[in-house]
Amino acid sequence: MTRLQWLDYRAALGERKTYVAAALMIYAVLAVPLLLAEPPPHVREVIAAWLADEDPFALFMFVWIDLVMNKVIAFVPVILASGVVLRERDTRVLGLLAAKPLTLGRYFVIRTVSACAVMLTLYAVTQVPAVAWFHGQIAGFRAGTFLAAMGLHACAAVFATAFAATVMVAVGRRGAGALVAWMLLGVMVGLALVGFYQPDWYALTLANPLTLGTLAMGNLQQLSPAVLLPPMLALLAWTAVTIAAGARLVRKMEV
Amino acid sequence: MSGSAILVEALGKRFGAMQAVDGVSFSVEPGEIFGFMGHNGAGKTTTLRMLLGLTRPTGGRAAVLGHDVVAATLEVRRVCGYLPASYALPPDMTPREFLQYVAAMFAIPRATARARGEALLRRFGLEAVADRKLRGFSTGMTQKVGLAQALINEPRVLLLDEPTSGLDPLGRHELLEHLRALAQQQGVTVMFSSHILSDVETLCRRVAAMHHARLIACGEIAALKREHGATTMDELYLELVRRHAS
Repeated sequence: MTRLQWLDYRAALGERKTYVAAALMIYAVLAVPLLLAEPPPHVREVIAAWLADEDPFALFMFVWIDLVMNKVIAFVPVILASGVVLRERDTRVLGLLAAKPLTLGRYFVIRTVSACAVMLTLYAVTQVPAVAWFHGQIAGFRAGTFLAAMGLHACAAVFATAFAATVMVAVGRRGAGALVAWMLLGVMVGLALVGFYQPDWYALTLANPLTLGTLAMGNLQQLSPAVLLPPMLALLAWTAVTIAAGARLVRKMEV
Repeated sequence: MSGSAILVEALGKRFGAMQAVDGVSFSVEPGEIFGFMGHNGAGKTTTLRMLLGLTRPTGGRAAVLGHDVVAATLEVRRVCGYLPASYALPPDMTPREFLQYVAAMFAIPRATARARGEALLRRFGLEAVADRKLRGFSTGMTQKVGLAQALINEPRVLLLDEPTSGLDPLGRHELLEHLRALAQQQGVTVMFSSHILSDVETLCRRVAAMHHARLIACGEIAALKREHGATTMDELYLELVRRHAS
């Protein structure tokens, strides 16, 4: 099964949609320093309200996580998950594969884990080289803090991918499923930082998995494993539960 | 009967108000090439899908090499190769990658999978295109890859649904020769459905004929022809249908 997972991951990496997703993320990396050269005033106001200073690195991280990567994880997971089982069904590839000694639920797990692994790969191949690019462009850039924060955010992106795959098989149609997944992820992204602006709601917003992915934002001065590990583990648990739910739903699908 | 490769007893499938397969019974002996003929919509595909556990029967039972198709679906699939009537190959994979992928679905060890994959590529004359994306393959080439993937697990039973439709005469001839060789040299049991009756006659000793969800005849082609006074397969089939209608 490990070999099938590996082959499926490699196949997923070679799909056209992966190139589209990669292009989106590379564009984000290249464009943000240009945006930051002249940040909008409301961005500065918001960052000052909850970070109490205008540390250029904090400003950059706010823009990068909230305005860029949170938007990316509302779109890219939907692109990556759009082919999970439904596309194989619609293009008649599943008619061939479903006759193999593998349940449809198991196949869904393999395909979704591959999509999640592709998402992680895209993070690695964009965020790590981005360190060198940002270092020369952003004043006060701290590579270690950036990578740690994005490591946590990658866990949220993985969850978003599993979530999109599960929503799509729950809806049962690719187009409608993608739309619903995109809308739900959009709502989660929109509410992700509410707890930072409204501290009274902070505890409540922790129920939103995408909020967990942004928790590094409140601790940029002292990011440590104690800050990062609990939300990472929670996001992994969310991901596992979501994939299990998708595997259960897909069993009812007529091939 | 207990030694049958495929045993079907009063098998039925109802989709809502429509009876797709109605009380079908037959058996296929090991190493036999068995033809399954009938018009479009007669119930051939549904029967084959039930044998693989892709569609759940609403009546009767069936077993492949002794494995019940409902209770031991994955065991059945492990010993079967299957080529559906309508399918597509993953466009972003190459034939070589796809064969390895299917082999991994059977948990075939890597070295064995590679050896079998290369042998199948050679057997079907696919070496020259083995590393080309499957996107844009012709019908004939697609069918060769389709048959190769059905053989990667060295199946003891091969279920083929309309394998020759869409192929040109040369492609059909090649495919039928491959099937004959599989049965004769490796003892593979082949059950193939077709409404191209000349293909059935070329390859099979025994056939089953379906008409409007029911089995209207099953037996040796020569005996059925004698019994119904037919000289060709077309005459035989038409006579079977006429008798069933009356």
